[in-house]
Amino acid sequence: MESSSILDSLGVEIIGVMAPVSICMFLVVLLTYSLSVTSDPQIRTAANLIYVENPSDSATVKLEGSLENAIVFVVVVAAVTFVIVLLFYYNFTNFLKHYMRFSAFFVLGTMGGAIFLSIIQHFSIPVDSITCFVLLFNFTVLGTLSVFSEGMPIVVRQCYMVVMGIVVAAWFTKLPEWTTWFILVALALYDLVAVLAPGGPLKLLVELASTRDEELPAMVYEARPTVSRGRNGGGGSSLRVLVGGGGGGGGGVSDSGSVELQAVGNHNANLDYNAVAVMDRDSVDGVVRSPLAGNPRETHSASPAFSEHSRELGSIVNRESVAEEEMSPLVELMGWGDNREEPRGLVEESDDIDRGIKLGLGDFIFYSVLVGRAAMYDLMTVYACYLAIISGLGCTLILLSVYNKALPALPISIMLGVVFYFLTRLLMEPFVVGMTTNLMMF
Amino acid sequence: MTVAAGIGYALLALGPSLSLFVSVISRKPFLILTLLSSTLVWLVSLIVLSGLWRPFLPLKANVVWPYALLVLSSVCFQEALRFLFWKLYMRLEDVLDSFADRISRPRLFLTDKLQIALAGGLGHGVAHAVFFCLSLLTPAFGPATFYVDRCSKVPFFLISAIIALAFVTIHTFSMVIAFEGYAKGNRVDQVIVPVIHLSAGMLTLVNFASEGCMIGVPLLYLVASLTLLHCGKMVWQRLIESRNQSGSTLR
Repeated sequence: MESSSILDSLGVEIIGVMAPVSICMFLVVLLTYSLSVTSDPQIRTAANLIYVENPSDSATVKLEGSLENAIVFVVVVAAVTFVIVLLFYYNFTNFLKHYMRFSAFFVLGTMGGAIFLSIIQHFSIPVDSITCFVLLFNFTVLGTLSVFSEGMPIVVRQCYMVVMGIVVAAWFTKLPEWTTWFILVALALYDLVAVLAPGGPLKLLVELASTRDEELPAMVYEARPTVSRGRNGGGGSSLRVLVGGGGGGGGGVSDSGSVELQAVGNHNANLDYNAVAVMDRDSVDGVVRSPLAGNPRETHSASPAFSEHSRELGSIVNRESVAEEEMSPLVELMGWGDNREEPRGLVEESDDIDRGIKLGLGDFIFYSVLVGRAAMYDLMTVYACYLAIISGLGCTLILLSVYNKALPALPISIMLGVVFYFLTRLLMEPFVVGMTTNLMMF
Repeated sequence: MTVAAGIGYALLALGPSLSLFVSVISRKPFLILTLLSSTLVWLVSLIVLSGLWRPFLPLKANVVWPYALLVLSSVCFQEALRFLFWKLYMRLEDVLDSFADRISRPRLFLTDKLQIALAGGLGHGVAHAVFFCLSLLTPAFGPATFYVDRCSKVPFFLISAIIALAFVTIHTFSMVIAFEGYAKGNRVDQVIVPVIHLSAGMLTLVNFASEGCMIGVPLLYLVASLTLLHCGKMVWQRLIESRNQSGSTLR
């Protein structure tokens, strides 16, 4: 412990979110690269209800049509979100769960199945239809179960969230070009409003879930560690302390003496508690129940007993329907106390390690859609967009640790991604190609 | 077969950085973040430069001085940016140290600082290789290859991968040299980095002559190995020094 530097554990949770996003984007790019020729160009979804883009149309027609498409799409998304909020408000939680189970099954089975079929065709993999069907069915059932039941290891759940992100994003990359850009920008704006504006549907949803002490009925990726990080608990939750110290200025530093003492004392106790948690997990035979997860909730709602819900807190990810392209694009980090300057704040964070950062599945999807669209132009734009999106995500996470409330993850990333795409395409490409073909570098 | 060739070119340019990434950087999340941000800084610098030069493109194919001017301006800009990066890192280091005090962990070790510098340099190098070599590699996966007139012996993709490897090395280790130079106030190390960068950039101008790549690329590799040598020597000295000073074991 003494010889380990703070560098070892710093930023773990940021990487915990960035890694799956990167994997998702990478696989979508691979998919679009290898399959873009064979897949049929036009699909009908909610995203192009009004206008079917034709490459030969004039720019103004494309502009108007894509704008209409984007508006309709956002309106549909908003409407469905409001319906979900209503259902959740009137306690139709089970209905929501079952419906989302169905839609997960549907997405994995049909859309995923179509993608698998095209992969099989493209690489001419010799597999007969019965085997293929059985494999697909098993895959789908495991996916549906894994995202819902408590008995699954979190790794499986995380994998399936990424897979669903890939499937839906690969589907969306078949949208025509202009419509894609307009929809991305429109969704980023919608996300901003829905999460931050008073009365925004996602804000309502999050508030409702936290006052009612229930899990958010949405498809979210939980960046919970796969193994309880008892060993380096202090560093794991360090992001906020770090940013608090950097951004908040002197407030945290002035009373550092007492902070240190108290924090260390409680910290050791906390380590023991973590160790207990690990044993507990093992003894329930793979059932991932997180005793720590209930803790911050107690401080919030002051409900003394662990209800059924709070027992399931960490383990059930409810979901929205992907079939309707209804996502919950938000990063959420529940349970971080508001007492930043008080000494006990540090301890509470240590408690919260197991909750981790949550990222809506929609963010996965639309990041990947942007990168996949960039992949249709050139590899250079892919790298630029990837870097832009990841840095936008990083900015969002830092803002998250400053503001301590649910934040939209799309706006910064998407805006940066779009800007970098066009800058790369218009400015950088001729420059770099001109340099490199003369073998000039610097 | 062509897929194999494409992957081979990519690994030629980025293989050493990949192994550095796996063995050193990927162990520590903070280093990954450093690498990503430094890659982003380099990308932004490239975009700004291309924005500045966009009105003058395409340059005439048979005059060398506009290219020389371009390389000169780019190197100056990037060296200025490196200094800004260093300033930023200084503030970060203060934050990290005060944070380490607050959770009563030891401050940054010397090796930590060196690793951060390495990650920053690797970010620059990887960005270079990605944008100057990898992003043009797509046609290499297809059923043909491409030769440029001025270097007719070697396929274009191969030669650009080789050059990119040299630049990855230069960028990666000159960042370590620069950070140490700034930290110790060592005038020589501060000056040698822009000199290395500029001379490497200017050496690529040799490729402009017909079959010049036969001479330019070995010279480039000479510069790269000198950088590597200098960096290794300097780091070794620093490690010995700090071991003698503190007497405690270094990780």
